[in-house]
Amino acid sequence: MKNTFSPEHRAYIRRRRLRRAATVSAQAGVLVLLLGIWELAARLEWVDSFITSSPSRIAVTLYQLTVDGTLWRHAGISTLETLAGFAIGTVCGYLAAVVLWWNNFLKDVFEPYVVVLNSLPKIALGPLIIIWAGTGKASIITMAVLISVVVTTLTILNGFAETDRDKALLLRSMGANRLQIFVKLVAPANVPTLMAALKINVGMSWIGSIMGEYLVSKEGLGYLLVYGSQVFRLDLVMTCTVVLCALAGGMYALVALAEKLVNRHFGKY
Amino acid sequence: MDILELREVSEVFYTDSDETEAVKDLSLTVSEGEFVSIIGPSGCGKTTLLSLICGLLKPTSGQVLLHGSKRVGYMLQRDQLFEWRTVRRNVHLGLEIQHRLTQSQRDYADGLLKKYGLWEFRKHRPMQLSGGMRQRAALIRTLATEPDLLLLDEPFSALDFQTRLEVCDDVYSIIRNEHKTAVLVTHDISEALSMSDRVIVLSARPATVIAEHHPNLDGTPLERRESADFSAQFELLHSYLHGGGV
Repeated sequence: MKNTFSPEHRAYIRRRRLRRAATVSAQAGVLVLLLGIWELAARLEWVDSFITSSPSRIAVTLYQLTVDGTLWRHAGISTLETLAGFAIGTVCGYLAAVVLWWNNFLKDVFEPYVVVLNSLPKIALGPLIIIWAGTGKASIITMAVLISVVVTTLTILNGFAETDRDKALLLRSMGANRLQIFVKLVAPANVPTLMAALKINVGMSWIGSIMGEYLVSKEGLGYLLVYGSQVFRLDLVMTCTVVLCALAGGMYALVALAEKLVNRHFGKY
Repeated sequence: MDILELREVSEVFYTDSDETEAVKDLSLTVSEGEFVSIIGPSGCGKTTLLSLICGLLKPTSGQVLLHGSKRVGYMLQRDQLFEWRTVRRNVHLGLEIQHRLTQSQRDYADGLLKKYGLWEFRKHRPMQLSGGMRQRAALIRTLATEPDLLLLDEPFSALDFQTRLEVCDDVYSIIRNEHKTAVLVTHDISEALSMSDRVIVLSARPATVIAEHHPNLDGTPLERRESADFSAQFELLHSYLHGGGV
């Protein structure tokens, strides 16, 4: 098939590839430039590297933390808490949306509560959570769940409500009951909605677990961040931030990949 | 033999501020094997009428009687194919819902796909089909449940003019070929004339029957459109619709 491309088509593809390569190089260039300026500013003492740290000091810290195993332990714990919050928040949020979709009366009753819960800054519940769930991982996971669950419910419920009414009418004319309408139409039609909610929840559950760790923990990246700032080890703070970026970015990339694969099947286009 | 009978059917919708009579004292019958079109001004309650016939709505008063078997196939505006299913699995949808996806029903559905030229496309996604083929797939999906009565709700309205003429011919010949009874609802007079044995004209809301017309035209929809008598009949139906009475 590739041999049948016209010269114009090949030229078009070449232009597209060049453009893509240019974008990626520019992205890398921006990163290198920023790191370079930062490093230079620290070395030439334009800024106080005790406060700003520097890429080389971050690299050294990262190496030390990796070698002595500290990083693995803290990053591992934070990741586990985040994954737990992510999974529980998504599943509970989805189930709540199903219940509210199923029964219009329940939806009418609970809609204002959901809206209020959604606008409530969940961190305000921190003290309560500590008292109710203790000062361990349960509190942190609860925080991650609380932050992701309501927005999941709202996003999914919105998707459910926007499912094509004529398709539901078609199923009803075939004699479908509510369960069949859900299984055959509403659930598959909203797989893209679910994938979008998952992408939102990656960020939400990281916010939840790090905030939870700020409040109570004895380990995890959030703990390390707070500890680093209290003892004024900005290298440690910066290193944790970089690791956090990498973990959250990696998790998002995985979900985005899953979305791409799944939407190839369920997406409209 | 009458397969469908409506006896003085009325349907009233209520909202907080309003009470709308959509259908009023409407009576009609449809015989087995007949192709009946129902035309009326837009918004006159035609779709309400189809919902009443297939039992999705209960009449406020009057009776909707389906004699013989009660299996009704409903074809909506636009094809409503599910994009995440292949053509073949779209065709199976009604059978799945009715828990009738047996081997013999599967074979029957496959037979329809073969007979009407969609067999090679059975593993395709709907979006890979042309508008005409999608409509044919939707018709086969409806036929796969072996309905005794087909309800067509402006099934061609989403198609462009050229495709509409072709699909109209296509659907007509398939319905005739399968010896199905059909009720077509449309606001397109020429569509009604070119397809049906009988045209029922409804009034503006609340819908009630104001005239019945027998086209007495022969052949396929395209041939009918070209017959000498077509435009005179068109004028007649047009005057019913816009004159407001006989």
